[in-house]
Amino acid sequence: MISNDEIKHLGWLSRLELTDEEIVRYALQIEEVIKYLNKLDSISLSEVEPVRLKKKISELRKDDVKPFEGDVLEVAKNRKNGYVKGPRMV
Amino acid sequence: MIDGIKIGLEIHCQLTSLQTKLFCSCHCDYHGKLPNTNVCPVCSGLPGTLPLLNQKALEYAGLISLALDCKIPNETTFYRKNYFYLDLPKNFQLTQYNVYGITSIGIDGKLEYDGIDEEKHARIRRVQLEEDPGRLVYENNDMDSSFYTLIDYNRAGVPLVEVVTEPDFTTPKDVRIFLNKFTSIVEHLEICDTKLEGSVRCDANISIGEGKRIEIKNVGSFREVEKALSYEITRQKTMSTHEIEIKAETRHWDDTRKITKQSRVKEEEQDYRYFQEPDIPTVILGNEFLSSLKTKMPELPNDRKNRFISDYKLSEHVSQVLIDNKWLADFFESAVKIYSSPKEIANWIVSDLMGFIDENNHHHNSQASMEEKRSELKVEARHIAELARLVDQSNISRNTAKMILNQIITTGEMPSQVVERTNSSKIDDKGLLSEAIESVFRSEKSAVSDARLNSKAANFLLGKLMQLTKGRADPKIALDLIKKKLIEPD
Amino acid sequence: MVNLCSLTAEQVVEGVKNNHFSAVEYISQILERIEKIESQINAFTIVDANGALKKALSIDKKIRDGEDEKKIGSLAGVAVGIKDNICTKGLKTTCASKILEDYVSPYDATVVKKLKESGAIIVGKLNLDEFAMGSTTEFSRYGATHNPWNINYVAGGSSGGSAASVAALECTVSIGSDTGGSVRCPASFCSVVGLKPTYGRVSRFGLISYANSLEQIGPMGKTVADTVMVMNSIAGMDDNDQTTLNNGAPKYTTQSKRNIRIGLVKELVEGIEPEVSKCIYSAMDVFSKSDCKCEETSMKSVEFALASYYTIAMAEASSNLARYDNIRYGFESNPDSYEWNAYFAKIRSNFGEEVKRRIITGTYVLSSEYYGKYYLKAQKVRTMLKQELSALYKIYDILIAPTMPVLPFKFGEKIDDPLKMYMIDIDTVVANLTGIPAISVPAGFSKGLPIGLQIMADELQEQTLFETASLFESTANVQRSPKL
Repeated sequence: MISNDEIKHLGWLSRLELTDEEIVRYALQIEEVIKYLNKLDSISLSEVEPVRLKKKISELRKDDVKPFEGDVLEVAKNRKNGYVKGPRMV
Repeated sequence: MIDGIKIGLEIHCQLTSLQTKLFCSCHCDYHGKLPNTNVCPVCSGLPGTLPLLNQKALEYAGLISLALDCKIPNETTFYRKNYFYLDLPKNFQLTQYNVYGITSIGIDGKLEYDGIDEEKHARIRRVQLEEDPGRLVYENNDMDSSFYTLIDYNRAGVPLVEVVTEPDFTTPKDVRIFLNKFTSIVEHLEICDTKLEGSVRCDANISIGEGKRIEIKNVGSFREVEKALSYEITRQKTMSTHEIEIKAETRHWDDTRKITKQSRVKEEEQDYRYFQEPDIPTVILGNEFLSSLKTKMPELPNDRKNRFISDYKLSEHVSQVLIDNKWLADFFESAVKIYSSPKEIANWIVSDLMGFIDENNHHHNSQASMEEKRSELKVEARHIAELARLVDQSNISRNTAKMILNQIITTGEMPSQVVERTNSSKIDDKGLLSEAIESVFRSEKSAVSDARLNSKAANFLLGKLMQLTKGRADPKIALDLIKKKLIEPD
Repeated sequence: MVNLCSLTAEQVVEGVKNNHFSAVEYISQILERIEKIESQINAFTIVDANGALKKALSIDKKIRDGEDEKKIGSLAGVAVGIKDNICTKGLKTTCASKILEDYVSPYDATVVKKLKESGAIIVGKLNLDEFAMGSTTEFSRYGATHNPWNINYVAGGSSGGSAASVAALECTVSIGSDTGGSVRCPASFCSVVGLKPTYGRVSRFGLISYANSLEQIGPMGKTVADTVMVMNSIAGMDDNDQTTLNNGAPKYTTQSKRNIRIGLVKELVEGIEPEVSKCIYSAMDVFSKSDCKCEETSMKSVEFALASYYTIAMAEASSNLARYDNIRYGFESNPDSYEWNAYFAKIRSNFGEEVKRRIITGTYVLSSEYYGKYYLKAQKVRTMLKQELSALYKIYDILIAPTMPVLPFKFGEKIDDPLKMYMIDIDTVVANLTGIPAISVPAGFSKGLPIGLQIMADELQEQTLFETASLFESTANVQRSPKL
């Protein structure tokens, strides 16, 4: 059901570099898990609404500025002139 | 006109009038700040942080929805759009989505506009709130030669309203007209300062006849959208002529070369794995929200235009010109408050002031907005008001007034000051005029003889009098006196 | 000399405030204890001895100076351990992962801030399964935490360090997080008390998200009273978390109550290990003997609970963990010359295998072709469970069940079979899916290994929960700490 290619593709979608060994192992393990999750098929629940936490608009955050004290990105290991350095786009 | 052109728009509008970002209490205004100095743990996606929805953002988005005649839902919420990108601090964007009964802040609206040929309307598919990502910067502005990318998160989390239209446009000119109207609405709502850099962006999609849909992204301003679309139509037409298939793709607008080009970064059909953001509650809007929006709704451009026509008795054309730019309409009404002569004032603005602004334009960067150009000139509402008053009360002639305007544009003096300084008031004193006429009669003896025979020649003498008095003579009184003098015995 | 490590939080506060001993004295003993047995237990990822002593000194000074009660705090001097997925300013938060190896948060989680304000002394960060994904703490980068009752056995998870440290007297109370049982499971395995509050009762600001619609931060202690003390300090509305409940939290108490109507959910007892089953039925007896009406009852929709839980948890996890790309925080690595997609993939290959499995499965269930089949359906199961609970809570004040269907087991027993490992959460996930509060209290032993009783109340009925738990605790009188 869950092929090695599918695992590889899912790995790509979630940006996880997987070894060949991992792909094979995970495919088997995840297949078992998905089989179990398929239990959800045995119940219809078409009339049921999903759970939702609800609040009124007045309970949300007011538009008042509260700047953060300190350098938030101090933890970033690669900086240049204040920018955060990342890999190249192409 | 090419058949079968279908254009749809995706407009992004920053809610620059908000104080804070959409999901945190950082300043909404990031302009001019050093990189990564307008951030907090939430908007930079630090572990353990949670989004905190700004209630005013919902209100502003509601105002646009209402102004665009959209349906506003009873409840609304946010979704995660999951994808990886360097400018996304969380590698998902918080946005709205219309699925499973919950909708975004506005759906199924429409906006009417005066198309290039006829009255048209564009259907609004949806209005939604979402967060802006950060900005990517490249050394030497060259993406290709950089070994790394520089990221600034100052803009991350700034509130955006996205307005998506149906593909109802059939010509780029209509798109321009529509976008102007949209700008005017947004300005009148006072939720977005469209003159701020990056505050409004517009992507377009276009298909021609049976051809596939092309997306055009990276159009930096509304002004460029028409150009981009025109270019794209020509390009596609050329391809069709050579029987080259037009595939569905995304193209980027190159601002400098004024062309669209194939997207560098491969944009695959993405499955964004949308699901409702668990950290943000479903917000109950209800009737209360709708009525409060209606109360808060300011006068929209159309209504203002109609008011100008009915209350001030201005023409349709003049009214349209005024409301096309909110500041112009504001300028007009400020002037009218000072001196109530709406037609006169409107005339001065539309005929004369605008002319000066355009002329001034040639000396400056044409990218500057009209208001920027106007502010380079020193004239304010009170100047125009006084000018109108002086003309009305016949203190100065219209010609003189034009000359005065020319002056005060650079000096910023009040018209009355100029008048006093150059003694430009009309000469209507009969005694003074008679003296001047005597002088003309003495120097134009042959013309006087002619005029005695042919009364039409009196105008020539009037002309000479105007020359002598530097245009200040009251022409009516002067002509009267001249005619009288002509029939006097010598 | 009394071993100060074995005191309850109540006793510590009383002792420190009344000068029976100083905070420094007490903390020193705690730190000594940690040094002595940590090599056997491995409950901590970091011990902050300096910080702890510094805070102890300041507490002592405040008391000497006769400062106001409020300034000294309700938890004055109490040694607390914080699960290492909860942000502490200045002290690393690693989530037991290479991905956050060096991460130091620039802000304190709300619960940390509140604990500090109440005078508690943070002695260190506690071990967990990587990113809170697991039930045995075997998935920690820093090695598994050992069960103080028998160090060859697992301590439970994901808050293994939080439970073991309390049981082993390395700290007096601790804080964990509970997404599918991660506080209650180790509490049960280590014979301590562990609470998962009503969803939204305690702020999640600063809790590094695994599954945000399911999890809550929860206190652990040797006694119900200690757990309540910590709960009183950390509960409440938080502007930094819009999922917290608007009404303020009441101050909870622990008087024992009688005449409680109790239902034992039989579906949660079916198929469990017989020793555990025996212990749970004995618990029923304890209640019946205490003037409580205690009987078996049924909750049919439980059948779908585990499938619903893992669908939602993995889906949310796959998205919550997307941000770990090493750009803004993480570990040492130079991005120069890498193409960004390749860089992300390489960096993220440093997640442990259980985390990777869950991200992949979560991505699968969220994909558009499967969204309705799994995620949406799972969310509807939650409604179904809530409806059934609503009906049950009209008849019963409290529902009970085993916390775990099994006794603590040896290391490595379930680690190669993910599904087998997931199945042990079967009793705890109901409370997370429905948001109701649930507590695990020590109920007995078998072969020297602890068994916990799970007590569940309706939404926001923590007070009833505590009263029931107190009643059981005082009547059953089960041993809390092993001899070490």
